[in-house]
Amino acid sequence: MPASLAVIHALGLLTCFALLGTSRIGACIRWLSLQGILFSLVPVVFHDDGLGLRVMLLAGGNIVLKGVLFPAVLLHLRARTNYHREVEPFVGFVASILFGVVALAVSLGLAVKLHPALSHTPFVMLEAAIFLVAIGLFLIVSRRNALMQVLGYLVIENGIFVFAVITVVETPLLVELGILLDAFVAVFVMGIAVFHITLEFGTADVDQLTTLRG
Amino acid sequence: MQTGQPIVAMLALVVLGAVVCLALRRPRHILRATVIVSALELGLAAYLWIAVLADGHVTAAEGWFYVDPFSAFHLVVLSLVFLLCSVFAGIYFADEAGEHVFSPTVARRFGALWLGSLAAMTLVLVSNNIGIMWVGMEATTLLSAFLISLYRSRASLEAMWKYLLICSVGIAFAFIGTIFAAASIQSGSDVQAEALFWTRLAAPDAHLDPTLIKFAFLFILVGYGTKAGLAPIHSWLPDAHSQAPAPVSAMFSGFLLNTALYCIMRFVPPVRNTLGSGFADGLLVFFGALSILVAAGFIVFQRDAKRFLAYSSVEHLGIITLGFGLGPLGTFAALFHTLNHSLSKSLAFFAVGRLGQRFGTHDMGILSGALRGDRLWGLALLGSVLSLIGAAPFAIFMSEYQLLRAAVGTEAWVVLVLFLAAASVVFISALRHLIDMAFGDAKSPLIAMRQRLPGFLIVMPALGILLFLGLWLPPWLTEAIGRAASVVGVRS
Repeated sequence: MPASLAVIHALGLLTCFALLGTSRIGACIRWLSLQGILFSLVPVVFHDDGLGLRVMLLAGGNIVLKGVLFPAVLLHLRARTNYHREVEPFVGFVASILFGVVALAVSLGLAVKLHPALSHTPFVMLEAAIFLVAIGLFLIVSRRNALMQVLGYLVIENGIFVFAVITVVETPLLVELGILLDAFVAVFVMGIAVFHITLEFGTADVDQLTTLRG
Repeated sequence: MQTGQPIVAMLALVVLGAVVCLALRRPRHILRATVIVSALELGLAAYLWIAVLADGHVTAAEGWFYVDPFSAFHLVVLSLVFLLCSVFAGIYFADEAGEHVFSPTVARRFGALWLGSLAAMTLVLVSNNIGIMWVGMEATTLLSAFLISLYRSRASLEAMWKYLLICSVGIAFAFIGTIFAAASIQSGSDVQAEALFWTRLAAPDAHLDPTLIKFAFLFILVGYGTKAGLAPIHSWLPDAHSQAPAPVSAMFSGFLLNTALYCIMRFVPPVRNTLGSGFADGLLVFFGALSILVAAGFIVFQRDAKRFLAYSSVEHLGIITLGFGLGPLGTFAALFHTLNHSLSKSLAFFAVGRLGQRFGTHDMGILSGALRGDRLWGLALLGSVLSLIGAAPFAIFMSEYQLLRAAVGTEAWVVLVLFLAAASVVFISALRHLIDMAFGDAKSPLIAMRQRLPGFLIVMPALGILLFLGLWLPPWLTEAIGRAASVVGVRS
């Protein structure tokens, strides 16, 4: 099993760096979709004692949401908010990738510290979860386009999903469904918000949102 | 033990109310429906409070819902604030003019989101499962976001986006904390199904993993702290409060922030049981004191009345957090302060909202001579702001005094000095504005508006309660708050 986790880990990290270095929003959304599908497979691989209905439901629901539905919503929004198709970073792409490298090192360090307390979790996934949260946060603060901020939020969401799956072996299904539902609603609410911002401001550039200060 | 039917009834009632609001046609009927639902909620909450004080706790749905004196107290404050806000919404929206027309579409959106937020906050307060509690908290963010931008102006959309993004990320961090807490219980425990139950987590024999619960509390504090408006992660708060319609701002400050703080406090007993009281208390005191200081600094420079009240909320939430970190006496003071602050702050937002409609601005330079121009709401402004800055004989003076005693009792001298200094800064800078706003000469003619009876019905009782509690704390209330405090304030 560690072999397949290692593959997910490696490909997952690649999607993160792709998100950091890609300039077209459409391409970013597709990378995010791939990332969502990849990490949805973690519970299937991790629970090697048998593919129960619960695990299948969780993984399946996650793939449908993060691999298909969210990207579809985001792509639709990008089409409606036609003004800016570029990511428009505050921080350049080379600097972003450099941040990714540093974040990877920090995540490794944190995972080494945390792992003794969470000894039953696979180390690579623990590190991946921390890395995803860091990258998501960075995308939110470093990208000018509101859509990219939603993408950043979803990268954090992926990180949390991985973290939840590997640490809490038996969360009640009801709670898991509630969490998935929340993510689902969050994307729609954010989507509607981006839509209204674009209508009102003529752009999804959050650098324009500067009326309120102090 | 009592049956938990009132808990289920509370949740079912608000959800039903939200659906009914979507079906109603006239704005007036929608606003009335929200008042009726909030009044029934208050009745149920009071009933639950009495039941809990008699029996210790009430559970429902096989332990998934759990109400103890701490949550019952918060439920009562929540429904009281919601009732006042709903009544005020009826007055406020009836006189909206210009581009802010309260059309049937806007009214339906308001009614459904308003009661939806109430449902989510109720869910947070009655959940025993910390996962469901988190779901409720995230739901409050998503439901209340569009209440800020009810009219979709540029500034309100900007405020809404900040709120949505910052709080969603904050709540995501709280979820990481929740996972850490759930993981901390797993070592040595075999009851997996209850791993997320608060009653399991806070049990004295829970045997939590010290490292994991420490990480859990850090994430919880930063995560829910974002939503509670604790400095330095409060940046969304002044924007959201200043741009939202006044009843919404009142509800945000009056209780939404307290809901987030409630979530933080639920994690304190397990942390204290595992690590001793120093770790959690130290962090609470630090974030509390920092919020008070930062807010005091910003209050000095405010010109907009609603932004001023927003920073005042950061200050008071800081005071409550500080109190929670100062032992049993401090916890008592913090809970008493919660009630006083929620009442004063909603009243202050009502007054500023109403006067804002009549003056056509929230600028404290122009908004002057309120007492002469509008006696009722001028009086409400004067009373509530005096109460907020801690003037005697209002109730906030009493709770702050108790907090000072708690600080002296725990020998937290640095905190004591900082708190007094910040409170003085706030007192002086607020009083300067208040004197002009209440007694100054009117600088512009007021827009004529009908004085409505419900206005008296919310201003007078609220001011009355604040004065009454400042002079005398009835023994039954002391007992009830004391019981609530003992849920989260016991030291190991």
